[in-house]
Amino acid sequence: MATHYNRRKHLAIAFSLVAPFVFFFCLVFLWPAIRVVELSFTNGPLIGEGEWVGLENYRRILTDNLFYTSLKNNGYFILLTVVPTTVLALTIALLVNRLSGRLQAAMLALFFLPYILPVSVVTMIWTWMLDFQFGILQPAFAFFTGKPVPVFKDPYWVMPMVAVVTIWWTNGFNVLLFIAGLRNVPQELYEAAALDGANSRQQFRRVTWPLLWPVTALVLTLQLILQLKIFDQVYLMSEGGPFNSSYVLLLMVYREAFQLNHGGYASAIALVLFVVIMVVSVLQFQVLKVRGAR
Amino acid sequence: MRLMKTLLAASVASIIALPAFAQQQEVIWWDFLAGGDGVRMKALINRFNEEHPDIKITGTTLEWGVPYYTKVRTSAAVGQGPDVMTYHLSRMPIGRSEGVLSEITDEDLETAGLSRDDFFERAINAASDDNGALYAVPFDIHSIVLYYNKSYLEGSEFLDENGNLTGIDSLEDFERALALAKENGSAAPVSYATGDDGGVYRVFFTLLKQQGGDLIKDGEVLPGDSLDKAAKAIEIMTNWTEKGWQPEQAEYEASVALFTSGKSAFHLNGVWEVPTMVDLAETGKLGFEWGAVQVPKLMDQQATWADSHAFAIPQQTGKEMPAEKRQAVMTVIGWMEKNSLSWATAGHIPAYKPVADSEEFGAMEPNATYSSLADTAAYDPRSEIAGVASPVYDAAINIVSPAIHGYLDPQAAAEQIKSELQSKLR
Repeated sequence: MATHYNRRKHLAIAFSLVAPFVFFFCLVFLWPAIRVVELSFTNGPLIGEGEWVGLENYRRILTDNLFYTSLKNNGYFILLTVVPTTVLALTIALLVNRLSGRLQAAMLALFFLPYILPVSVVTMIWTWMLDFQFGILQPAFAFFTGKPVPVFKDPYWVMPMVAVVTIWWTNGFNVLLFIAGLRNVPQELYEAAALDGANSRQQFRRVTWPLLWPVTALVLTLQLILQLKIFDQVYLMSEGGPFNSSYVLLLMVYREAFQLNHGGYASAIALVLFVVIMVVSVLQFQVLKVRGAR
Repeated sequence: MRLMKTLLAASVASIIALPAFAQQQEVIWWDFLAGGDGVRMKALINRFNEEHPDIKITGTTLEWGVPYYTKVRTSAAVGQGPDVMTYHLSRMPIGRSEGVLSEITDEDLETAGLSRDDFFERAINAASDDNGALYAVPFDIHSIVLYYNKSYLEGSEFLDENGNLTGIDSLEDFERALALAKENGSAAPVSYATGDDGGVYRVFFTLLKQQGGDLIKDGEVLPGDSLDKAAKAIEIMTNWTEKGWQPEQAEYEASVALFTSGKSAFHLNGVWEVPTMVDLAETGKLGFEWGAVQVPKLMDQQATWADSHAFAIPQQTGKEMPAEKRQAVMTVIGWMEKNSLSWATAGHIPAYKPVADSEEFGAMEPNATYSSLADTAAYDPRSEIAGVASPVYDAAINIVSPAIHGYLDPQAAAEQIKSELQSKLR
């Protein structure tokens, strides 16, 4: 009897503790999410009721050229960012890890600094540095290509440059994750490897890399999810142009919803993006786990 | 005790006075007017409030473009919108499709002391739907004009004896003037915002309309030979880049600075930059003689891209505006129209003809010189995808701007505009 009473009391306490979270979760996440699904089957505007149209919105997505362009650009952006930023972060982490004390902290802070900037500040800095007429980086472009390049107005340069800005902005966090991972590798392993005559390259390949793999897999997955959701940088720097060469799925969602007032269609695209992110990231994580287990 | 009495008397007085305050109608006003426009509008609002003890306008300025119109739509949908708002006439079709605009009846106009005949016909047409129902009261007509720097043209055939621009009656004439200015040392003979959606769109649309082309007609984008006309417009603009006549990838501010710093002989931009030139000239900082004229007829017919600021009343869900409030709102609109002369100092042409035809406006330069454009003003096509901050503007920055910088052949660019916008019209 007493245990029964205790259990009920426990449950009551547990419930009262999670209740605030559950309430807000349902209010600001679950309910809107359900509404998005509902909305995606209607031709409704952003606010107000629409008519049920079944799978019409999804059918339309499949025939929308802009959707395929956006999907392709999202894929291109993933290629440009996920692996490069991971490699770069690992390299920086390895270098910073060799420093010690104050110097290491200072370097780490330096690399982390861009991450704390709001995206609007980041894009403002870079659009000025890359400005066609006055950009401080334009002489470098002129040196290599022979003339200044309006990078965000050039169909070939735009995505790579958005990727560069994004990597510069977000790399610090990945460096931090790698540093944490590196600190977890026991020092004795390096000593033992050194005793066995392993050189530094062998130490990296046989000790650091395998033990760091869980962190690497985590960084890759986080980056994949994050970079699939690209919107701000494109919206602020290139507006999807030129010739849609930087048009991405979230920009399409934004324009359909807020510019054209097509709430239903925008919801459908958003859901497709959600499914894409889920499938790709689960797949990637599984693949990485298999590799790591080898 | 005396203190007590005074307090008592004061509170009694305040209670009695309360109903008087309550009778004052508060009119919530939203606009998107920043910069010089904003200063002038705020001055007008203050003057109105001073002259009308029974009505009080409470104004808020929001961010121009998509943010403004999104806020209007969402707030109206939940009954939290303003009582009166500024609206671009080019946005009327999408505004009506969203159902956020309340019809302005003839009775409303009467309350305001206005009638349809008081306005320029093209502005009234742009403010009405296909059946002639009015959804906004036009306040001004603003378009692009051709600013010119006399110093590059002195002694040439392009200035008459009074020092005014003359002799530009065709594209060839204009291009000859550009070549001459280039020879005379102008770094960018004609500046406009070549790397900005609005700047590119307005010039492109003007050139298209001057050929008699249509951007969107009866649900079709660039129908018939309009496709070739659009290509022709892009070709002309591309040629200006190739000849080194227009700046490359100029942002809006840069395009203005090129002219005000004396590097450009001509400048294609909205009338709203007139105050900039007037102020600079007054303080002696401009360094050259300037003028502004209606964009000359470069192609087959006279036409200029134009839009209007207008006043609209939101149709709020679940909230009918009380008759007294509506009366107050219409009083505000009527007063603004009749006092739009001070608005004209921002470069605009009053849409209200009694002011546009007044002596005072006739003496206002350079407005009076270019005000003739009101009769040939070419408004954006009546379509849900056209107007300020619309897909049409996106197409200008996404397709036209890179094309005129040589990234795409004019014909291919025109075709891409057609297919892109057509797909949005579904």
